[in-house]
Amino acid sequence: MKSGIFNSAHNQAMVRRLGVLLPAIAMSFMLAACNPTVTRVESDAVTDLSGNWNDTDSRLVAQEMIQDVLSRSWLTKFNRTNGKAPTVIVGTVRNLSHEHINTRTFIADMERELINSGEVEFVASATDRDEVRGEVKDQDLHASEETRKAMGQEVGADFMLQGSINSIVDAVSGEQARFYQIDLTLIELGTNRKVWVGQKKIKKTVEKGGFRL
Amino acid sequence: MLPSRLSDRIRTIAGSNTLRLFVICCLSVVIQSCASYGQHAVTMRDGLLTGRPDLSLAIAEKKDLEQEEVISSLDKGMLRRMTNDYQGSNQILEVAKQEIEKLYGISITENLASVTVNDTLRGYEGDRYEQLLLHAYMAMNYIQLGQLDSARVEMLQANVKMMEWGEEPEEDAFVRYLEGIIYEALGEYDSALISYRKAYTVYKEKGGAQYPVTPMALKKDLLRLLAWQGLWNEYKTYNKEFSLTDFQPYKSSNKFGEVVIILNNGLAPIRSENALPIFSSEVQRNLRVAFPVYREPKKSLYLPRVTVNQQPYLLETVEDIDALARYSLEQAMAGIMARATARAVVKYNSQHTANENSSIAGLLMTVTNLITERADTRSWTTLPQEIQLQRIVLPVGEHQIRIQMTNAAGQVVDVMEETVVVKPKKSSFVIKHWNTPVPKQVKAGSQTDKQTDKITAGK
Repeated sequence: MKSGIFNSAHNQAMVRRLGVLLPAIAMSFMLAACNPTVTRVESDAVTDLSGNWNDTDSRLVAQEMIQDVLSRSWLTKFNRTNGKAPTVIVGTVRNLSHEHINTRTFIADMERELINSGEVEFVASATDRDEVRGEVKDQDLHASEETRKAMGQEVGADFMLQGSINSIVDAVSGEQARFYQIDLTLIELGTNRKVWVGQKKIKKTVEKGGFRL
Repeated sequence: MLPSRLSDRIRTIAGSNTLRLFVICCLSVVIQSCASYGQHAVTMRDGLLTGRPDLSLAIAEKKDLEQEEVISSLDKGMLRRMTNDYQGSNQILEVAKQEIEKLYGISITENLASVTVNDTLRGYEGDRYEQLLLHAYMAMNYIQLGQLDSARVEMLQANVKMMEWGEEPEEDAFVRYLEGIIYEALGEYDSALISYRKAYTVYKEKGGAQYPVTPMALKKDLLRLLAWQGLWNEYKTYNKEFSLTDFQPYKSSNKFGEVVIILNNGLAPIRSENALPIFSSEVQRNLRVAFPVYREPKKSLYLPRVTVNQQPYLLETVEDIDALARYSLEQAMAGIMARATARAVVKYNSQHTANENSSIAGLLMTVTNLITERADTRSWTTLPQEIQLQRIVLPVGEHQIRIQMTNAAGQVVDVMEETVVVKPKKSSFVIKHWNTPVPKQVKAGSQTDKQTDKITAGK
């Protein structure tokens, strides 16, 4: 008899606890879904999430390319013969890889480093030029005589930077080996001579989990 | 003594209240999942069948605003395409692609749910043919945006996917063919040739079943590229195999370019639910299980007829999605039935134990189990029934492409026209979707009113 009462009390306690616990668990799930957790990290921290091309890859390419392009002989040769810094224009970098890669990021990185080094000058690319030309044309009509910029005073580039990103992917169920090769070439305008070829190779393996929650 | 008993009573009521709340919560989830995807698809496709893809899009956009469901993202992507929003289409298809990636691997909770509640609680990642066609349609979007390089990226991703599935040729013939066309448009003839060879292998092995028979266009493309690359030994072998002995591959010239016409004809079949009693040896009785089925037979399509400069051309079927969908379900059926039977036993046992405790609990459990027994009718239903294609070599300049849709009696029911500019040695693309003849004499205004009524009713 006594044990029976004890049992039912025990059961009630269980139900009570469960009644509190279940909504609590549900709430915790809801809260987790509501608030994204944000952690600030350094911009050079490696954050590999999916295995796809990311900022780290872009930065690695920029670093390698900048170091290489500034240390090679084409620069000193050009300086010696022409007595000025070479002017470079950025052409197209074709994405022939299996991912949608934004090539502008590492090209912009390169441009910045090269301009800041003072050894290389850049001219605006074909698309940027149109906007600038529009402005100069507009100045012709509306700007005062002394501040007006004349047309036909643009600097012609000596070299053009072109390149491509290629990738090779090998995959079996759940596992991938990804290889990226980034080639950049500096071509002398007029002579079509290649004066510098930069290359960066990146390889990673990606393993996808066989189970999830 | 009395206060403590009172508090106990209150606690019991509180306990049962939370219990009731729990049951209500469960039921609301159940009722939500009651409207099956198949039913939603029927309402959604109404707009397409009356020539108003924008109305279908409006219904699709309302569903799943969090963009978590792969299936609704796929539908949105296809419908945005049909309303000429290629950028928006790619945006949402990219979301679908990432969600599919997240669903990689076997889920423990979802599998548990599929053997206790129903199959619709499993994450939908799309069948293989759907996952590959996702890339194909993104590539077509990029083509129509004029970004061939990005279209190439999509094809490479499809390539990685096919490689991962490996072993037996799980490749998609049309995806391979499209890949070759894109390579060729980019001037990569060696890669194009490899893609054509692979496409041909799939057509040869599975043509007539899941795939249509090898299109004549592909045979000619294969021969042409072999000729261009000077692989004459292989050329002769294929030439004999195709019995195209009097075929003359045209020479690449600056005076000609080509037009690739792709027509997405009709709509993919919809799965509906079937329920059957199945005898379980475990509990020695008949148990009711629900499973998906294609109830309607394959529809006959309207025949497209292409005319360019008064010259008629036929479109060939390069992908039979109807057949792929049916084959895919057939393949999945064994697993579906195994899960359904396991689920029926679990449900029967839960009813049984609940009944032993109290008759009301037993009844509640029976009702819940009956309502929750739903078939998984999800499939990408905004896909066309067939993809049809033709490649036409034309002199450089502007050309009027005319596609006439004819019914079984040979009468023209609809005409689509597009002007293309053919550039030397380049491919121009004309990609169209067509579902149904739209009555031309109905004024747009009155039709719109009717349609809006339908949408509000559909809600």
